[in-house]
Amino acid sequence: MAPPAQSQRSQSPSQPSGKSEVSDLKLQLRQLAGSRAPGVDDSKRELFKKVISYMTIGIDVSSLFGEMVMCSATSDIVLKKMCYLYVGNYAKVNPDLALLTINFLQRDCHDQDPMIRGLALRSLCSLRVANLVEYLVGPLGSGLKDSNSYVRMVAVIGVLKLYHISASTCVDADFPSTLKHLMLNDSDTQVVANCLSALQEIWSAEASTSEEASREREALISKLVIYYLLNRIKEFSEWAQCLVLELVTKYVPSESSEIFDIMNLLEDRLQHANGAVVLATVKVFLQLTLSMTDVHQQVYERIKAPLLTLVSSGSPEQSYAVLSHLHLLVMRAPYVFSSDYKHFYCQYNEPSYVKRLKLEMLTAVANESNTYEIVTELCEYAANVDIPIARESIRAVGKIALQQYDVNAIVDRLLQFLEMEKDYVTAEALVLVKDLLRKYPQWSHDCIAVVGNISSKNVQEPKAKAALIWMLGEYSQDMQDAPYILESLVENWDEEHSAEVRLHLLTAVMKCFFKRPPETQSALGAALAAGVADFHQDVHDRALFYYRILRYNVSVAERVVNPPKQAVSVFADTQSSEIKDRIFDEFNSLSVLYQKPSYMFTDKEHRGPLEFADEIGNLSIGEATDNVVSSQRVEENDKDLLLTTAEKEETRAGHSQQASFGIDDLLGLGMPAVPNVPSPPQLKLNTKAALDPSTFQQKWRQLPIALSQELLLSPQAVAALTAPQALLRHMQSHSIHCIASGGQSPNFKFFFFAQKYEESSNYLVECIINTSSGKAQVKIKAEDQSTSQAFSTLFESALSKFGTP
Amino acid sequence: MPVAASAIYFLNLRGDVLINRLYRDDVGGNMVDAFRMHIMQTKELGTCPVRQIGGCSFFYMRISNVYIVIVVSSNANVACAFKFVVEAVALFKSYFGGAFDEDAIRNNFVLIYELLDEIMDFGYPQNLSPEILKLYITQEGVRSPFSSKPSDKPVPNATLQVTGAVGWRREGLVYKKNEVFLDIVESVNLLMSSKGSVLRCDVTGKILMKCFLSGMPDLKLGLNDKIGLEKESELKSRPAKSGKTIELDDVTFHQCVNLTRFNSEKTVSFVPPDGEFELMKYRITEGVNLPFRVLPTIKELGRTRMEVNVKVKSVFGAKMFALGVVIKIPVPKQTAKTSFQVTSGRAKYQASIDCLVWKIRKFPGQTEPTLSAEVELISTMAEKKSWTRPPIQMEFQVPMFTASGLRVRFLKVWEKSGYNTVEWVRYITKAGSYEIRQLVVSGSKLVMAEGAIRLFSTGSRCHEIRRGEGHLPGPTQPAFDM
Repeated sequence: MAPPAQSQRSQSPSQPSGKSEVSDLKLQLRQLAGSRAPGVDDSKRELFKKVISYMTIGIDVSSLFGEMVMCSATSDIVLKKMCYLYVGNYAKVNPDLALLTINFLQRDCHDQDPMIRGLALRSLCSLRVANLVEYLVGPLGSGLKDSNSYVRMVAVIGVLKLYHISASTCVDADFPSTLKHLMLNDSDTQVVANCLSALQEIWSAEASTSEEASREREALISKLVIYYLLNRIKEFSEWAQCLVLELVTKYVPSESSEIFDIMNLLEDRLQHANGAVVLATVKVFLQLTLSMTDVHQQVYERIKAPLLTLVSSGSPEQSYAVLSHLHLLVMRAPYVFSSDYKHFYCQYNEPSYVKRLKLEMLTAVANESNTYEIVTELCEYAANVDIPIARESIRAVGKIALQQYDVNAIVDRLLQFLEMEKDYVTAEALVLVKDLLRKYPQWSHDCIAVVGNISSKNVQEPKAKAALIWMLGEYSQDMQDAPYILESLVENWDEEHSAEVRLHLLTAVMKCFFKRPPETQSALGAALAAGVADFHQDVHDRALFYYRILRYNVSVAERVVNPPKQAVSVFADTQSSEIKDRIFDEFNSLSVLYQKPSYMFTDKEHRGPLEFADEIGNLSIGEATDNVVSSQRVEENDKDLLLTTAEKEETRAGHSQQASFGIDDLLGLGMPAVPNVPSPPQLKLNTKAALDPSTFQQKWRQLPIALSQELLLSPQAVAALTAPQALLRHMQSHSIHCIASGGQSPNFKFFFFAQKYEESSNYLVECIINTSSGKAQVKIKAEDQSTSQAFSTLFESALSKFGTP
Repeated sequence: MPVAASAIYFLNLRGDVLINRLYRDDVGGNMVDAFRMHIMQTKELGTCPVRQIGGCSFFYMRISNVYIVIVVSSNANVACAFKFVVEAVALFKSYFGGAFDEDAIRNNFVLIYELLDEIMDFGYPQNLSPEILKLYITQEGVRSPFSSKPSDKPVPNATLQVTGAVGWRREGLVYKKNEVFLDIVESVNLLMSSKGSVLRCDVTGKILMKCFLSGMPDLKLGLNDKIGLEKESELKSRPAKSGKTIELDDVTFHQCVNLTRFNSEKTVSFVPPDGEFELMKYRITEGVNLPFRVLPTIKELGRTRMEVNVKVKSVFGAKMFALGVVIKIPVPKQTAKTSFQVTSGRAKYQASIDCLVWKIRKFPGQTEPTLSAEVELISTMAEKKSWTRPPIQMEFQVPMFTASGLRVRFLKVWEKSGYNTVEWVRYITKAGSYEIRQLVVSGSKLVMAEGAIRLFSTGSRCHEIRRGEGHLPGPTQPAFDM
């Protein structure tokens, strides 16, 4: 029975119609419900299938709930499963009707067939209705003790489901400790694995509120548990092996002999057919040997072959996932892979996401011995049909040039790119030649000869045009036509849309003027006039600045605009090593694919400060999250998802505010970072402090309260505090940043943090403000206890200024 | 945590939901809409299989005309998730008996829901072994609906196996005739430069097995790989037999293979699953025998004419032959007219892929058929830019040939009842990505092939390196004249 035909689905599935069909089904189900005629199960199956297929495409069939439940009294296991699926889907929106199903589910939980027991238990736990949890505890308890491993396996995950519906019920029934017992004693490995998943989730969530839970979480990575699991690792299914291996990466062996024991035990896992197991093993090896440089090196050599195999087998998606990890390793230790560069050659039909990674790896592994081959190969790609890839490969050639000492051959090639007469190739090559000249000024002679032949009319891309203009200005003494090319560019000032190009043009004309004054004078005049009249603020300002400095003193102007330049030795790395290490720690996860640490993309970040406050609030009060909150969160999430870009920009503007304050401070424009109060002036705060929510949460748990006090707020401050955001902005200008806030008038709650200037010592503040009483409860925690008093004064004075104009 | 998938969706190419299974509450119900809006309906589709939208990450894979999407809200293990999808699809296929596509899903959606329930619980992968699942997920595909009543099955017995330690084989199997089929399937990947030097060449091979054996047999497989042979001669303290041995760069095994024993004794021993499975995978980069050499000469005669000459040489044994040989020679988009002469097979111009397609159904060893074609182009202004000279691609299958030279030396079967078995071994080599870059010559002198070729003329140094590295493995070394 296929889902209904095209006509219905042509409408958007999220706005289904099909009302008449549903009521039709309702009628038919009702007829069958009481029937005991032979063959009735077959007709029921047909009807159920129809219902499920409607459900799949998004038609709301929840109105059939009663009839479905009535029809579910059957011994046909397929019918039962369909019914369970239906009930699981709609119980949440029909909590009252869900009660109807409890009866038959509970009965099935005592069936003599373990399959039925397991199924019923799974469905029972999937109802996700908070007021039914009392019916779960009994069946779950007996399920965990069931003689059949299938039922136990289902029950263990059932406990986890219960925890997510009602954490308190789950903990009160003492299920976690039962799971712990099962994990260490059950004969069936899937049961053990499920216990491990469930316990990890439960204790991680509980750890923030309960000391005991956090001890239990630590106990999971104790020697006892780790050894117990490792010794049985071969009995586990491939998926469970991944789970165990991930746990092992967190284990800290007490001595190096232990490390070798573990690695010897796990070495054969590198030959496993499942790539996920291999990657998990690789992570164990890498993490265990972090502190042992030599062995770590050997590990790289050992894991190379398995990883290369994984890359070349499986679907493109799978090999992409592995390739991303290989990419990370190549970036960390390029020399290990320098002889394997041929593995990173691109095939013609490979998807571009694979090619892109391979290009980056080729760039990284280039060294004296293989540069020639690699650059030759990259040049092949420059003619690729896929233009973005062609561009990337030209950029790769440039990057290799910038990291090599022997650039002789590469420069030749870059110059040949310029002659290929493809717009995008010329554009990319120009940008590269410019960077190259900044690093190796000695090549200027060769480059300039070629660049001089390029007609600026053929260069349209702003970046490339800017690069060309920069070279014209910088090397105007060597280029015969430079003043005249610049002049013609100035003439077309109005047609130039990119402000970047106009800025460069101004500077280039200035430089040219200092070198060849008579030829450039008229162009300079025209450029300055056009620049001053420019509507773009930066262009206008720069033109005006040049004009004034020229009027003031020409030789000063020359020293400012055209000073002798030092060759750039190293171009700045885009990612800090701290972030890279963090990604490395999160090996074998999404972080590696996104190339950013998890806190930057997991949902907390996206929920925004307000949501997070609720969470911290809940955690510190020790209340269990009920599913009302979680459903809110889901909604919140969805809103985030459906935000238009404009709205997103707005939220992002909030983030960037911090940065702009930093700049203001730098230029001495903003408010003073340290208020002029008689507080100890030696404590200076970092204006650009950064802390991610999870670290905050962790630190907040760990640190003792250094200071706790009650402050009185001025009436102006109370008046100004209509929304939490007002205070946030104010405190930020005092280098105290908010990580979470929430609440409504009259009660507000804030979590702030600040960082000591030029040190990574953090201050964490919880501040509860009641506007009706005008009081603020402040709790301060500090990593550096000795300065907590100084910080407190600082915080107090910052708060006291709030609301004053 | 390995996967913790919050939801899994199956969509067709238009974005209609075929299957929708929510495992966790932490993602909303409109995830499909988000996927459709932000991925399917944009150019993003196909640019990256992992995307983040809102707080959720989407992993998607296209399999025939179906997208399978996994949604997670945490920092999940991607490799594990993709592997899960691949395994799940293999499982569905084994249930449907063949194709996995939109129609198969529509016709079996109840079964798929049933399976999705078993293979993943609350986002954690459970049991995916078809052997075990088939014991208790008894609903047949549409081929024979409702033929088996579940109550007839020995279910209590089955559940014992559901989670047991030897997860891949159940006890008490009986076959009248005990047979083992062994298929060694290799795919050769080649990337040859336009100068005829091998840039990259490797073989990825797999050994597929089909076992119809009674009881709990122990199997031992011997190959002619170097390490295994050396170990064996060491153990038996006799000199290694002369003959070709090969060096495997890397091997991975099915979970049934005793890896400890492989590491200590270098023998592949295992208790096989029943039916069909992939025993091992390997990769070789050294000493690859390329089955075909392709020698193209493409001349541009003026602006509107091209002359294409391709000689393909088979370098495997004269008694063997290749099947389904297809050679695709890309030509510019503005090709107007073509004429061919071939010494074997048939050739035609296929405008949809801008290629001359030359097909040879049966290609004996040690022969060298040629194709010569004249291509007339429409003269356009933009012709120079549009043609990027994609590589010549080749497809083929060579039965009874392994590009790596791998051979099965023995396959031993022990079972306590001591029955006789019949073993069948087959070899086949297929083309993976077999690419030969084109060199375009105009008249007799080198044309600047869009920058790439001229590079060779820049320094004498390049020629030295080229010669040093441009060796071709195998006994016959053809002269590549330009």
